[in-house]
Amino acid sequence: MLKRIITLAGTLGLCLSLATPAQAGPKEDLARFQHFYLKRFPGVPLKEFANGVYAIDKVSRENWEAIEEFPPYEPYVEEGKEMWNTPFKDGKGYKDCFPDGPAIKADYPRWDAASKRVLTLELAINECRQAHGEKPLKYKKGPIAILTAYIAWESRGKPTHVVIPDDPDARAAYERGKRFWLARRGQLNFSCATCHAQNAGKHIRADILSPALGHTTHFPVYRSKWGELGTLHRRFTGCNKQVRAKPFKPQSEQYRDLEYFLTYMSNGIPLNGPGARK
Amino acid sequence: MRTAPFPPLSGMALASAMALTAGLAAPLQATAGPSAQALEQGRKIAFTRKLGNCLACHHIAGGTAAGNIGPPLVAMKQRYPNKAKLHAQIWDATVANPETPMPPFGRHQILTERQIDLLTDYIWSL
Amino acid sequence: MKTLSLFRAAGLALVLTGLANGPALAGDSAQAQYEDMYQQAKAAQKRAASVEGEWRDIGKFLKKAQALAKKGDYEAAFKLARKAYIQGKLGYTQALSQQKVDWPSYFK
Repeated sequence: MLKRIITLAGTLGLCLSLATPAQAGPKEDLARFQHFYLKRFPGVPLKEFANGVYAIDKVSRENWEAIEEFPPYEPYVEEGKEMWNTPFKDGKGYKDCFPDGPAIKADYPRWDAASKRVLTLELAINECRQAHGEKPLKYKKGPIAILTAYIAWESRGKPTHVVIPDDPDARAAYERGKRFWLARRGQLNFSCATCHAQNAGKHIRADILSPALGHTTHFPVYRSKWGELGTLHRRFTGCNKQVRAKPFKPQSEQYRDLEYFLTYMSNGIPLNGPGARK
Repeated sequence: MRTAPFPPLSGMALASAMALTAGLAAPLQATAGPSAQALEQGRKIAFTRKLGNCLACHHIAGGTAAGNIGPPLVAMKQRYPNKAKLHAQIWDATVANPETPMPPFGRHQILTERQIDLLTDYIWSL
Repeated sequence: MKTLSLFRAAGLALVLTGLANGPALAGDSAQAQYEDMYQQAKAAQKRAASVEGEWRDIGKFLKKAQALAKKGDYEAAFKLARKAYIQGKLGYTQALSQQKVDWPSYFK
């Protein structure tokens, strides 16, 4: 009888603690998100998700490992190093904006309290350029991707560590990013979650849907389909178009907030950019 | 001056009219199935990427490199004894399952009503 | 009674020709009907965009419709503009339905 009471009380307590989280926020979302993928793909450790489909499909992995012997992004990393070391017109360089550089990828995206917005690496790079009389770079491909390929390469191994400060505006940006990721959009009515969570690991025609866990760790990415490097926001644009939604502009608030949420969800996973993907 | 919309019908006319309407209201099973031509039109819609693009998610006999997000489309008459339910599922799958990954081909006008009719007939034949 | 059945006939004709569906009046010229439809579509596009729900092809349809109208093919232009209008409305409805979206059941 007493045993029954104790068991009942224990179960009740557990139910209560699960049903009423103190304040359902980013931390709870993160646990829920990562737990989903760890459960869906048992045997794949958290860090491995940095490799996307290659972490969950043997055949794809073999092809990818073969490609990685002569990584298609390697020449870009060299080019990016040159860019990093080339002074601006006014004699200053990227090192003056980013004293800890070039291994600074893990510092972004981050909440910028002064300007009340999510600051991404690409945005910070262009602000640096403009501060020194240089033209801003376009955000989807080309020089921005080349420079960030070098930055990503130098930053390899650093764990993803996005911080959502206890600031209502930061929290609002995070929530906007989260809702963007969960919302159905476009004529085809897909959300990011539809493909990259609900059906992650399944085949869409001959392709495998990659899990969203680890999505941000390997950008910029050399995509065989593009035949060149591209940024995370370039991929966002493509995905939105594929579901027949009008894409947003790269580095728009929508995509920066989305990057904020998505990168946070990969907290703990080491950076491994630039990457090579199909 | 008449107040009724139609003049009263004679007995013979009434009988013929009733026979006509009875014929029109006959159950679908009594009518002939879709022609081979119509089935082929439906198959084209299923296999065309910009239209049904069904192979993206469903295995269909005769298709290659099919996805596996949805169930294979076989034994459809057993799975959907009522063709109208299959039509409804293609028209808007979110009604049966709000979390479905299947696009609402009718509600979002991805396909025209005619295309959905043809597609339903083809899929039902699998 | 004769006028009554005449009205019924006119109403039936309107429905059959589908003109009862559009916002334009039966008496307007094809050009006027198109231009009205185009404005409606533009407004629907704007409304969808205001809630981040604009679909991919609306802009393309409207551009094409304008090109067709310029050539004088108002019937085709009208059809395309109406397609854009409908997609604008659908995108708006969709975005509104997703504003409070939360973790789906498979995440729990």
